[in-house]
Amino acid sequence: MATASGVLEAGSARPVGGGVPPRAGVRVELDQCERRFGEVAALDGFSLAIEPGELVALLGPSGCGKTTALRALAGLEQLDSGEVRIGGSDVTAVPPNRRGLGMVFQAYSLFPNMTALENVGFGLRLRKLVASERRRRAHDLLDLVGLGAQSGRFPHELSGGQQQRVALARALAVEPRVLLLDEPLSALDAKVRAQLRDEIRRIQLEMGITTLFVTHDQEEALSMADRVGVMASGRLQQVGSPDEVYERPVNAFVAEFVGSVSRVPATVGAGATVEVLGRSVPLPAGQAAFAPGSRVDVLLRPESFAVHADRDGLGLVVRRAFLGPVMHAVVALPGPVEIVATLPSSAAGEVVVGSAVRVEATGSPLFVTEPRPEAR
Amino acid sequence: MAALTLPGRRTTRGAPTRAEFRVGGWARSIVLLCTAMYFLVPVVASARYALEGAHGTYTLAAVTALFHDPVLLQSLLTSVEISLGAAGITLVLLTPTSVWVNLRMPRLRRAMESLTLLPLVVPVVVVVLGIYGAFPTAVVASPVLLALEYVVLAMPYSYRAIDGGVQALDLHTLVDAGRSLGASWPETFRRVLVPNLRTSLLSAAFITIAYSLGEFAMANLLSFTTFPTELFQIGTEQVDEATAVSVFALVLTFAVLLGLSLLGGRRRAGGLRRGATLSVGGGDGIAAEVDAVLGHVDPGVPGIVHETREVP
Repeated sequence: MATASGVLEAGSARPVGGGVPPRAGVRVELDQCERRFGEVAALDGFSLAIEPGELVALLGPSGCGKTTALRALAGLEQLDSGEVRIGGSDVTAVPPNRRGLGMVFQAYSLFPNMTALENVGFGLRLRKLVASERRRRAHDLLDLVGLGAQSGRFPHELSGGQQQRVALARALAVEPRVLLLDEPLSALDAKVRAQLRDEIRRIQLEMGITTLFVTHDQEEALSMADRVGVMASGRLQQVGSPDEVYERPVNAFVAEFVGSVSRVPATVGAGATVEVLGRSVPLPAGQAAFAPGSRVDVLLRPESFAVHADRDGLGLVVRRAFLGPVMHAVVALPGPVEIVATLPSSAAGEVVVGSAVRVEATGSPLFVTEPRPEAR
Repeated sequence: MAALTLPGRRTTRGAPTRAEFRVGGWARSIVLLCTAMYFLVPVVASARYALEGAHGTYTLAAVTALFHDPVLLQSLLTSVEISLGAAGITLVLLTPTSVWVNLRMPRLRRAMESLTLLPLVVPVVVVVLGIYGAFPTAVVASPVLLALEYVVLAMPYSYRAIDGGVQALDLHTLVDAGRSLGASWPETFRRVLVPNLRTSLLSAAFITIAYSLGEFAMANLLSFTTFPTELFQIGTEQVDEATAVSVFALVLTFAVLLGLSLLGGRRRAGGLRRGATLSVGGGDGIAAEVDAVLGHVDPGVPGIVHETREVP
């Protein structure tokens, strides 16, 4: 493990924050992790490997086990079985204070009795760093997160965003081998969240620190992470680059959880096609397992629909949401089926709430799945 | 504020007018005065009685006599030692207990609350006998016995003081933060939790000290010479001296508790400057005002905005 004093050597590179050198990340592995709380399996054979310097976001609904996975990596949660390895060493039985990790929590976790500077210096103090070096390093890190001028303030004198910046600086101060972020932005307002999101990513890239980021906000996950892991019921459903997870989901859960999709009944046609909304479109790659004539549900992104104002159309616009250059129109179709379609705002003049429209599928479905039982 | 500049008229937001503020102020003063009189009149009367000399004159003879009575001074010292011991044992025993129950066994919280109330309903004699049976003779024959008993008897109050503080903390997050930063359990407890429980711990210590310094029945029952028992003894012979001692003890206790209380509040207050503005959340457009008030400009954090409130 790198020592706190290691970064303070004279002549070390200082490309970040006026005094915080980059470091090589370490590989992190969680292997077949199991953790149960009574009858509930928070982790059910969970496995994940994070490459050195990589930022992986764990995404999933509440209660899916993502925070448990992060806490297991931190050592704050004991596993029933499985193994945690950091830098190739098995740390499953190592207490959290000896794992060399830095963590930012969802709740404001600054020590109320300490100033921002003292909070950042806390871990360094435990490592017996001399006071002058400790102060210098804490100042460097506060500068790094843009709070150099607030070093003397107590947590209750800082806004939520500022507190989380200090918490990030505090986590980085101990030169962690791995940075763990447990929904650190969820308590912040949208503007501060977006700003801090960019800042965390910038610092992570500059420092090259291996990072696990837990969030339920898919926009956060997709925009920040090198890879995104989607979890459900204690299991990792899919892990891949953001575009891979978004465009090539491995199952219906991932397809429906990441981004927006509409589920539309369809019939499998000949030659790896599927008949949906009166049009024949190709089946997605690797999804040709359905026999021709099978009734299926297809999951389509909003951008895979074309909506035309048509008095004879079978669709009825029930809602519209203006999103700047594009607009989302919610259209009710016979079935009953409700779809969400994206259309350019400039072309949405006649597609008003209450108007009849014709809906076509214009692209390959994201995923094809068995129909829901009630639809059979 | 606009509400304060429109005397005699209720504002559109329904805020009190200046006249209503004035009436409210008078009412508060009367209540405070009544409360102060309730406590102060007996003390003043006692002080007057203790200091009254012959023919309507006043003298400090009764007070100075205290300092020339070695038995009384020794009993005072004994009581102080016992009360400090009891406070120390209380903090050492109950603080980790409360932290552990809240952190690891929250289901036991109710049971602990009930358990710590037992000394209120269990007769004192039973407590005495229990402690007699549990400790060796060397302990039960010394004033340490009283300290142990006062820990138990003050527990309904001291545990609540500590537990209230523990529950007010975001215990799990603070502990996890401390641990993740490299602190062992004892370090987390000492460096993170204890400083943030300072007020609660001082309250628990005050309560135990106050209880121990004034406890008479058990000390008398067990034939120990403590300050209250000696005071009682003096009172049977020299009433004016006993009254002087009582007033002196009251003032001394008050001064000690006030001093400790001020000491406890100093650190937190030190973080704020009079007239400073606190950032307490998000809200657009007020950042410049905050920075202007604080005299800070934060060029590194454009767009970070704050709501503000004045520190009185």
